[in-house]
Amino acid sequence: MNFDVSLIATSLPKILHGLGLTLNLLVVSTLIGLVLAVGILLMRLSKRAWLVWPAKAYIYFFRGTPLLVQLFVIYHGLPQFGFIRHSILWPILREPYWCSVIALSLNTAAYVSEILRGGVLGVDKGFVEAGKALGLSKFQRASRITAPLAVRLALPAYGNEIVSMLKSTALASTVTLMEMTGVARTIVADTFAPYEIFIAATIIYLVLVWIIQTGFSMIETYANRHARRT
Amino acid sequence: MSLLDGWWDDFFFGLLTVLQVFCIALVIAVVCGLLGASAKLSNSRLLRGIAQAYTIVFRGAPELLVLLLFYFGMAITLTWFVQVFDPSVKFIDLPPFWAGSIAIGLIVGAYMTETFRGAFLGVDRGQVEAARALSLKRHQIFRYVRFPQMWRLALPNFGNHMLSIMKDTALVSIIGLEEILFVAKMANSIIHRPFLLYMTVALIYLAVTTVITSVVAWLELRANRHLRGAR
Repeated sequence: MNFDVSLIATSLPKILHGLGLTLNLLVVSTLIGLVLAVGILLMRLSKRAWLVWPAKAYIYFFRGTPLLVQLFVIYHGLPQFGFIRHSILWPILREPYWCSVIALSLNTAAYVSEILRGGVLGVDKGFVEAGKALGLSKFQRASRITAPLAVRLALPAYGNEIVSMLKSTALASTVTLMEMTGVARTIVADTFAPYEIFIAATIIYLVLVWIIQTGFSMIETYANRHARRT
Repeated sequence: MSLLDGWWDDFFFGLLTVLQVFCIALVIAVVCGLLGASAKLSNSRLLRGIAQAYTIVFRGAPELLVLLLFYFGMAITLTWFVQVFDPSVKFIDLPPFWAGSIAIGLIVGAYMTETFRGAFLGVDRGQVEAARALSLKRHQIFRYVRFPQMWRLALPNFGNHMLSIMKDTALVSIIGLEEILFVAKMANSIIHRPFLLYMTVALIYLAVTTVITSVVAWLELRANRHLRGAR
């Protein structure tokens, strides 16, 4: 067995060709997922059962099944129905890119809505009551008091979720997308040097994880700057 | 559902395979987690460094990448190793079952390391000191004082890690293990009902994860039963 260190160096730039698509999938699905998550959170926190139960069922399904299976249901499964193949959504649903984005967004939305709910439940009731006593409206209390405090509490868990999203984008390679893992798999099929190539890809992922974690710890320090002065 | 007639036994055996991978990966993950946590809490800088590198790599790399690295990499290593003894051997590969179980076990073991480390730190130092004062031996302290109390603190995260293992088993179909997702792919090439088949896979996973969640909830109730009277 010969381990070729120079092969790691030469394959790095090739794998980096997939970096754009990896980051694209990460950013687009994280943003769509966040918007969905806020909607599901509001449903989940509502007092009306017909809003709460669909949200609960959504979270239960998407957290209880593997993302890969969800991706297969959307990418391979939906075209089973003629009405989908003839609908105006077909140009989107036949693209592996959009199927990956949809699967990643729907999946992360379930997790993020629970993370945000944890944040909302962690906000001291006294603050909200104080806002009530000051005559703030329900919307003002939510936007000026609950939301900022909840976001601060949810930040560490949200950072972990972004890291796990980055790792999840690798699954897009199973539906033919050439993001970093997809590129690495192609190179391995050509060279059959799995150690060198996959280690090179791992190095890039680890650097990205490090950037995300450092970014989030900076945001957390900023969000908690009031606590430092004491 | 009659469309699935004739496939139920395949799904059943696929599920058995999934449960086998789950059990083996769980054992590996718990062992790695305990070793990793002990290494991280040890006085040796070398051990701490190794454990740190382990958790950084296995928590940072995509699960799929680790799995592929194990499956294809182990084939090369094993072939090389066997050729040292018997040069006539051309190629040996690690069965996807073992490559998958080991890879998933090591990945989730890295998460378990952090969970166990935190839980061991959460056990009151006074408890350990009291056990020492009672002249319990090291392994007795671990068995009767540190582990049971650590376990209670680790349980909620431990449950989540069990769910991760269960969901990661779906990835093993990519390297060709005949578990339920693989069965669905195979069945689809014959009956062409992809939505029905993949949805069936999703519901099987949902059933299994529901069972795991209930078991963990029961274990948590049990582990905290001493607190119930006080509340």
